Amino acid sequence: MTAQVMPGPVRAPIGRLLRSELRWIYRRPRTLILLGLLALYPILFGIGTQLVDAPVRANGDQSIVAAVAGNALMLPVIVLSTTMIFFLPLGTTMTASDALAGEASHGTLRGLLLAPVSRVRLLAIKAFGVAVVSAAAALMTSLIAFVTGLVIAGPGSLVSISGTTLPVGEGLWRVLLATGWVIVQMWAVGAIALAVSASTEHPLLVLASVIGGLFVFGLLSTIPVLDWMHPFLITESWDSIVDVLRDPILSENLVTGLLRAVCYIVIGYSLALARMITKDS
Amino acid sequence: MTFAEAEAGVGTASAVPTPVLAARTRGLRKLYRNTVAVDHVDLDVPEGAVLGMLGPNGSGKTTTIRMMLGLTTPTAGEVELFGARLPEAAQAVLPQVGALVEGPGFHPFLSGRENLLRCAAAEPLLRSSAIAKAVDEALERVGLSGAASRRYRGYSLGMKQRMGLAAALLVPRRFVVLDEPTNGLDPAGTREVRTVIADLHAAGTTVLVSSHLLSEVEATCTHVAVLHQGTVVAQGELRDMLEASNAGLLVSTPEITAAVDALRDNRIPARPMPDGLLVDLTSTTAPEVVATLVRADIPVHEVHKQRTGLEDLFAQLTETS
Amino acid sequence: MNTKKAVLAVAGTGVLAGVVGLGVLAIPAGADEPPPVLPQISADQLVDSVANAKIPALAGKVSASENLGLPIKLLDGIGSASVWSDGQNRFRATLPGKSSEKTFVEDGGTLWTWDSQKNTVTKFAHGDKAVEPGKLAGKDPATIGKEALTWVRQYSDVKVDGTARVAKRPAYELVVTPKPTERTLLREIRVAVDSETRLPLRLQVLANGQSDPALKLEFTELNVGPQDAKLFQFTPPQGATVKEATKGDHQPKDPAEARKGFQDMISGLNLKTVGDGWDTTLVAKLPGDLNSLAGKAQEHANGQGGFGGGRGKDFDVTSLLKSFGKEVSGPWGTGYVFSTKVATALVTTDGRVAVGAVPEQVLTEAIGQVK
Repeated sequence: MTAQVMPGPVRAPIGRLLRSELRWIYRRPRTLILLGLLALYPILFGIGTQLVDAPVRANGDQSIVAAVAGNALMLPVIVLSTTMIFFLPLGTTMTASDALAGEASHGTLRGLLLAPVSRVRLLAIKAFGVAVVSAAAALMTSLIAFVTGLVIAGPGSLVSISGTTLPVGEGLWRVLLATGWVIVQMWAVGAIALAVSASTEHPLLVLASVIGGLFVFGLLSTIPVLDWMHPFLITESWDSIVDVLRDPILSENLVTGLLRAVCYIVIGYSLALARMITKDS
Repeated sequence: MTFAEAEAGVGTASAVPTPVLAARTRGLRKLYRNTVAVDHVDLDVPEGAVLGMLGPNGSGKTTTIRMMLGLTTPTAGEVELFGARLPEAAQAVLPQVGALVEGPGFHPFLSGRENLLRCAAAEPLLRSSAIAKAVDEALERVGLSGAASRRYRGYSLGMKQRMGLAAALLVPRRFVVLDEPTNGLDPAGTREVRTVIADLHAAGTTVLVSSHLLSEVEATCTHVAVLHQGTVVAQGELRDMLEASNAGLLVSTPEITAAVDALRDNRIPARPMPDGLLVDLTSTTAPEVVATLVRADIPVHEVHKQRTGLEDLFAQLTETS
Repeated sequence: MNTKKAVLAVAGTGVLAGVVGLGVLAIPAGADEPPPVLPQISADQLVDSVANAKIPALAGKVSASENLGLPIKLLDGIGSASVWSDGQNRFRATLPGKSSEKTFVEDGGTLWTWDSQKNTVTKFAHGDKAVEPGKLAGKDPATIGKEALTWVRQYSDVKVDGTARVAKRPAYELVVTPKPTERTLLREIRVAVDSETRLPLRLQVLANGQSDPALKLEFTELNVGPQDAKLFQFTPPQGATVKEATKGDHQPKDPAEARKGFQDMISGLNLKTVGDGWDTTLVAKLPGDLNSLAGKAQEHANGQGGFGGGRGKDFDVTSLLKSFGKEVSGPWGTGYVFSTKVATALVTTDGRVAVGAVPEQVLTEAIGQVK
């Protein structure tokens, strides 16, 4: 008779699972397409502002576009502020939608659960994947923008909107600060997207609801009657990314925005966890 | 389970020689929005058996399997694998369980090998250094070595099914669950699956295979459980099930009429057949019948129990309930 | 051992914590702090110490808000300004816009103004002794303070009314209340004075029948301590337009001449005051009646070819006045009254104007004295 001795719980090494998850994400064609677009965007933005620079500057009053054109500090931050309202949330949400809803629709989620990877661990792996993708995308975009700006306008053009010229090191630090801040905002979007992703088998539903939700948030924040609701909207502090361009940095709204994002992360992952632990796969 | 408990478990097992069960469910029940999918399922899968879970589509086979593997939470009832309760013991037990549930699930943009590498990364019992070899062996085993670098998107239905089988067999398992494994396979593919099941059985692996096709269960299984409308209507060893299903004894004799009369005198029902007679065994036993005939001086050339196909049983069971 | 329930409990707590966190972020911090306990001080002592106070090294944020009861909010859209001082008459102030900023840097010898939107620097070199708030009109601040207090006391009660906390700093509340005989719209003016540095931290103007201040100017943040010297320097960035402003642009060479110019302008308007104290009403006679003035405004606008050019054609003063003001008439003529919580203005059709922090009736009395 076969002995009934049960080995203790065994788990696959976490490093191996995380590597496998990243390999899977970065092998996916649409991830690569989006990253390609994000890499191209700052370069096109830099060149584009350079082209329209002359007519706008002749007009006297400087628009933000013209201000960006000759400024290697502003370019990455403005590129971040424009990507953070669409492309970065799109990439983050796409990854999150594939992470659980997509895997469920392909029938691969049950394979992982049967291996087994415990549900809590699986959520952690998925959260890691989404976090890495959004962080890498934001970092790549801002660094390319920073380099583009330096190439176009030179190292003497790191001018804060308070009128001070910053050394390259300080400029890079500001850009990294802005990037880090954007990354945390994207993690908040990712947390909510994963919670939705855990609740459905339709990846498109995740994409539609999260991107649609952000759009609605943007609309709500322009309605003065609903001002009581504004501090609860994740998008409320997204304008304050400009504050890293001030000298000294105006930290108040950035900190509030950071804390708000942390609240969203806590809520998102709590919901995702609850859904993950109860769902039938 | 602690070591002490495990030892105690071994002690009881050797003291009372009950058959070891690879899987056991008691009172399993699943409700989907007031619809009963599965109810009162008490299933025993003895270790080393090949259990065929037989039932028409929609009889609750897949739901039962999903609950047995911890994918779906039962509304009521309990599941044990190798004597350990799920879902608590999932991490300890499931690594030894391979499964193909609800068809193969893989990513279309990855090749067959890449898909299996991803599955292998999640297998707790595979050492990282052994992954590449395990994947190649699994591909070899299901005959996909040649197509391993092609994208899964381009695979035929049969190839996809074989990929599912390969994933279930990445690691040497104690228990393999195959949900409709021959779905979409041509006759050659079906034979291959049968060979795989036979090999697993020969190696001592417990197999649970679900099917709505009787021929398949008859060809591969040692045990059978028949599901109908969410409940188990019959289960047991295939051999016993076959015997229980037919209560007839075929007797070859030249003196048919005399034999029928002799048995009827002893109130044993029998009816004439072309080469002899068929005796109903519901109220008597085979030795009794033979003894009665010998006492009446009737020559008996041959006696054997009548075998009907499992088909009859299946039809019988599902029709009556 | 129910892991599932434990995990669900954790998740539930997480959702709750996150929502509470968002709620906390939505509530402005430090709303209900008890007023600090400070040693007693008389109003005279307090005013004296304020007049003698020197601006220390500090960094702070100043915000202004109004509740005047106008159809549009005047101060809306202006974020809080940041101010810095090094304690040695060097200052920096920034006025942040949505994606722009105006910066003012006084480095001791030059006043720099920077407008990020126009990418323009204005440089005003004023020499070493430009801004010296220490002395005005040859008097030391303490004397000015005393004189001012004496003047104010003719019409008001001045007292220290408890304490307050402004920008987390303990402060004395100095309250100036009009005497009961004064006919003004204002109820009181409160100034919170920092107990340590004696800097005014908050100014509130409260009107009758209103609990919220009609005007409020306050420090929302204040840190007293040495500041980075770099803050008080400014170098025009690459690519910016630099405008040099000379002394002549900003102030007349001779103060007497300047005063004369101002007086000329005022006499041209027939500007004078009626009444005294809180009741003081400013009255003036515009050159011409309302419609002729409107015509001039239109010509002016057209001549400039600027912003108002297109609109000038349909410019109808009377209808504009009607929409904002209330039509009134009396023995003095007809006109329109504009009321806010703290001030009232009266414009007559023949071009007379009266303004004051007083009710309408005081204005109609005053306007009769304008010929």
